[in-house]
Amino acid sequence: MSTGAKKRIMKEYAECAADTPAGMKIIFDEQNMTKWEVLLDGPDQSIYAGGHFKLEITFPNEYPFKPPVVSFKTKIYHPNVSNDDKGSMCLGLLRPDEWKPPNKVVSVLRLIQTLLIEPDIDDSIEPSIANEYKENRKEFDKNAKDWVKRYAK
Amino acid sequence: MSTPSPIPPPNDRRSSRASSNAGPPSSNLNVPSEPSDLLVVGGPPSSPSPLALRASNSPSSKRRKSRAAKVPPDVHMLEYVSACDSNLVCLICHSPFDRPVKLPCEHYFCRECVDHAWDAQQEDLRSCPTCRTKVDPQKDLSPVPRIIETMLDELVVKCPNTKTGCDWVDQRVNVHDHVMLYCEYTLVECPSTDCRLPISQKDFHKGCLHSTVSCEHCHASLMKKDLEVGSVMSICPNRSTNCPHCFIELLRLDLKPHVKDVCPMVSIPCSGAIVGCKVTAERIEVEEHEKTCPMATMAPFFREQQARVERSEARLDPLSRKIGILEDGLTNITSMLYPANGNDSSFPVTNPLDPNSSEAFPPASLMPTPDFRLPPASFPPVPQSSDTTQAQPPFDSQVHHLLTLHESLRDEVSRVSNALTELEGRTSMTIMNENQRVKEDMLHTNAAINGMRMQLHWLMSATLQQRSASAAGSSTARAGSSTGPSASGSGTQGASSRASATFRAPIRRLSDSTRQDVKL
Repeated sequence: MSTGAKKRIMKEYAECAADTPAGMKIIFDEQNMTKWEVLLDGPDQSIYAGGHFKLEITFPNEYPFKPPVVSFKTKIYHPNVSNDDKGSMCLGLLRPDEWKPPNKVVSVLRLIQTLLIEPDIDDSIEPSIANEYKENRKEFDKNAKDWVKRYAK
Repeated sequence: MSTPSPIPPPNDRRSSRASSNAGPPSSNLNVPSEPSDLLVVGGPPSSPSPLALRASNSPSSKRRKSRAAKVPPDVHMLEYVSACDSNLVCLICHSPFDRPVKLPCEHYFCRECVDHAWDAQQEDLRSCPTCRTKVDPQKDLSPVPRIIETMLDELVVKCPNTKTGCDWVDQRVNVHDHVMLYCEYTLVECPSTDCRLPISQKDFHKGCLHSTVSCEHCHASLMKKDLEVGSVMSICPNRSTNCPHCFIELLRLDLKPHVKDVCPMVSIPCSGAIVGCKVTAERIEVEEHEKTCPMATMAPFFREQQARVERSEARLDPLSRKIGILEDGLTNITSMLYPANGNDSSFPVTNPLDPNSSEAFPPASLMPTPDFRLPPASFPPVPQSSDTTQAQPPFDSQVHHLLTLHESLRDEVSRVSNALTELEGRTSMTIMNENQRVKEDMLHTNAAINGMRMQLHWLMSATLQQRSASAAGSSTARAGSSTGPSASGSGTQGASSRASATFRAPIRRLSDSTRQDVKL
């Protein structure tokens, strides 16, 4: 990783630390600054309220020319988060072909928060969950809350 | 590029300013090899001792080598004194622009950043990192307006050698000259011919300082050049120093304990602070105050209480963890128990303990019931027992707990075996019932078959009788064959109608007559 990229990550961290979106906490390790840990509280107006989620943001070596990789370390029942060990999240500005170098990590964090409040059904990674969200909202809410209780307390 | 420099260097006619702005850094590397630069090196009034000049007057090849080791400052790495206008920041590196270029879409980037961005793209698909407008790197890059360059040049930065001691702060446009020419802390190669380690420019004239020596006070061994540095001298624990508060002279080693516990002039809070006393004064005064302060007298007691609370909390923690582990173990055991029960699927099982399934076995019960696992709810005593074991807070011992656990498991097993026997009884009952029904069915069927046989028998005998009768009839008809075909037809009518045979319609099929008979 080039020094420029490191410098940029440092700057982004400074920016995030100065203006962290509500309910988030960033754990930053200077020794390994390409891996951020984010502790995220489920937004109050979402069904994930009360849950505490651990996210990992990994910056590729080509950052900022390649998008950072966001993954949920805590299991979450969400149409846009893959339901496996990786818990990867791939959508919108995080997609390799949509990513632009000027995008900032803060906006990525904001996007994640918005998605917890309002999943993006048309761009889902878990079609079954997306389907349930569309057709059986009650069941979806119940499952999501159940998962929050089980994994995210 | 012609921004006036606030510090005009002694011989400023050289192109160094221009090169710092626009030229590639390499162009600077050969500049200092001119002999006249030697004066510039020693330019700042602090350093040029005759010794320095002599040292740098060594053979020119050596000189070039030492100067060439200087690394021009990386603009991206500079530390800015004040926050920069966000419009002057490159969106890729998030630092103020370095040699910015303008794309046709009016987006600005550092030259280097946009090149990096394009490295990641395909040859003919180069586009603006912000808006994705197609760009031809050969043609479309244009210089940015002069005013922007000026604003960038005037940003105030710190010297990159700040960490090693330089406190230079000035406009960015000058940083290159400062680092390459004036800064005493820029690293150059050691003057000694057989040493290649770097050394600060200000220590250049002292000769090679890269030999290990030991500190005369604390006997730690370190490099001579580090010994020279003031900051290291101030680290040595055995050097004497003055207490900043009471000005007593003592070893650095002892300074901390002195300040913490002894120094009468250092200001400390009253020892009643944990109870709420707000007095903070120099140690002497505080000692006077504590004699009268009621809170200070209470403080030790409170401290002890606090310590006790903390100890209890610390003890609580492993206990709660232990409970968690035990709970987990218990759930594991129960879950092991249920599948062991449910796996016994060699014959269809309905849960005998489940009240829902206690209605009579339906006739179709021989089909395997899909859900035969015991729902956990059917074993209420297990959670209960776990509750009771945890409800007695101080376990007498681990063994006691294990014994209760064992007891409850034994209960569990006996319940399961009871359930199994009951189940077996019910199953055999069902099988017997089923057998009975089948037997009855078979009796019915037998009766029906018998009826059929009787009927068939009767039919057969009737037909046989008829046939024998008609055979007799035809023989009589053939005897009187002069009457013609009509007579032979009448033969089919059977013996009873033989008298009227001559008047009847002549042709009738044999089957018709038999059918009539059947109806009878």
